[in-house]
Amino acid sequence: MADMAVQSDVMEAAGPYDRAKALSAFRLGDATFYWITRISAISVLLILGGIILSLIVGAWPAMKEYGFAFLWTQRWAPSADPPVLGALGPMYGTLVTSIIAMMIAIPVGIGIAIFLTELCPQMLRRPIGIAIELLAGIPSIIYGMWGFFVLGPFLANYFQPFMIRIFEGVPVLGSVFGGPPSYLSLFNAALILAIMVLPFITAISVDVFKTVPPVLKEAAYGMGCTTWEVVRSVVIPYTRVGVIGGVMLALGRALGETMAVTFIIGNSFRISSSIFAPGTTISAAIASEFAESDGLHQSGLILLGLLLFVLTFFVLAGARLMLMRLETKAGK
Amino acid sequence: MTELSVSTSPPSHVAPHSPLPDAPPKVTVRNLNFYYGEHHALKNINLTLGTNRVTAFIGPSGCGKSTLLRIFNRMYDLYPGQRAVGQLMLDQTNILDSKLDLNLLRARVGMVFQKPTPFPMTIYENIAFGIRLYEKISKSEMDDRVEKALRGGALWNEVKDKLNASGLSLSGGQQQRLCIARTVAVRPEVILFDEPCSALDPISTAKVEELIQELSEDYTIAIVTHNMQQAARVSDKTAFMYLGELIEFDDTNKIFTSPSDRRTQDYITGRFG
Repeated sequence: MADMAVQSDVMEAAGPYDRAKALSAFRLGDATFYWITRISAISVLLILGGIILSLIVGAWPAMKEYGFAFLWTQRWAPSADPPVLGALGPMYGTLVTSIIAMMIAIPVGIGIAIFLTELCPQMLRRPIGIAIELLAGIPSIIYGMWGFFVLGPFLANYFQPFMIRIFEGVPVLGSVFGGPPSYLSLFNAALILAIMVLPFITAISVDVFKTVPPVLKEAAYGMGCTTWEVVRSVVIPYTRVGVIGGVMLALGRALGETMAVTFIIGNSFRISSSIFAPGTTISAAIASEFAESDGLHQSGLILLGLLLFVLTFFVLAGARLMLMRLETKAGK
Repeated sequence: MTELSVSTSPPSHVAPHSPLPDAPPKVTVRNLNFYYGEHHALKNINLTLGTNRVTAFIGPSGCGKSTLLRIFNRMYDLYPGQRAVGQLMLDQTNILDSKLDLNLLRARVGMVFQKPTPFPMTIYENIAFGIRLYEKISKSEMDDRVEKALRGGALWNEVKDKLNASGLSLSGGQQQRLCIARTVAVRPEVILFDEPCSALDPISTAKVEELIQELSEDYTIAIVTHNMQQAARVSDKTAFMYLGELIEFDDTNKIFTSPSDRRTQDYITGRFG
């Protein structure tokens, strides 16, 4: 006992000094770490704020000139004197192409994810998974060229005449699928967008579907569920938040996609009731005109960019709101 | 020392079952073998589950008791490379028949898992979901069925005011009883319990055990457990398995008082396992 007491005395004598030194080194490391992470986080806010601010500054002349009428003016005549600019056409095109793209990409993307996780034989799983990832890696300009040279002519020569014939004379759908067929159209752009965002939806859905505990699926199978019932009632509700996250990411990409869309949408500011008619989106309008613009025209284009910013923000906020309502409905 | 020797006979605080007369077989297992790929996991199993009796499966981890249970509702079918050979009859139905409708089989043979597995929906929907798979009934009939199932799961009094809360908001023990109620709701003939209490506290365990006893009046029950006192408390017959073989299968009383096999004796007295 006495020996031990002596020993611990010795240790303590050596102890406090070393420990204090070690601790102060830790404190310094901690403080550095804290400030590095904090500065990184703050810099995001600063960059975001800077972008918004410079957009507002750039768009200010156009805002002063056109006011809110900018939002519901369809005419876009930058070379008139004074130039007449309205955002209705690009806003309409952005929303319509994104909505159609999501209507195609969500069921197909989630369907592929269900097939890959629940039904696919092991042998096919990897090749299909890799193909989907490659789809995400194709540069958008290549989609644009493919849409221009291959998909556009195909749609205009075969698909569009077919749809136009089917819906001819039907009240609303007749004008939605109205003629004449066109190489460059909203529908063409939406289809390309759907292909472009598909990998996002699929990859994220596959990842979250894999997080469903096997025992939960077994429990559902154990009740006598078919694979479809397991997917619909257990897998999708369980992973709802993740899947919607993937869809939102895809939607964000669809709203802002520029290059491919500029190639194939036709850059027409006129709003037509038919989705087979040419149109434009906000980003396509900016990309195709920005280089040759100046003065009020340029300011108008920057205002379009600001609008896209706001539009994206509201769409994503809306998606989040929907998510919250879903959660309340599920009784969380 | 006296404490130790007690455990060779059924624990004294456990009221031993008065042995019930042998019941007609509900499930008959003949020369059943099971393979995980190349691994021969179950070897020549022969036994019967008596109608409206509780049969317990005990044995050290990896002895194949859960594997056996998962054959009764063909759960192994979900995974490639697993196969069963032999004969397994549920009444007159050959469970191993490759043309058998698995959904109907699983409606007849329900299963409760080790961990509570409430579905991600409301308490009400957790029950109604299973019923809806097989029957189209009106809202009021459904309400009745849900209430009956929750009463059957000894849960009604605790949840009747929050049927629209998420099943996941319940405590572990309540979740497990919800899963039992859900299983009972589709009116199966056989219920399989795969270590139903291993994730529960003692009070919830007691409730679930009591429930199993009540359910045995209407259902044929098979339960896998690591808790030998639980086996002694709830079952009529006990099967001791070791390394994929069925070592001994007899009345629970006999297994826990005078087992005929040396290995059974060693296991129930805690010498291995």
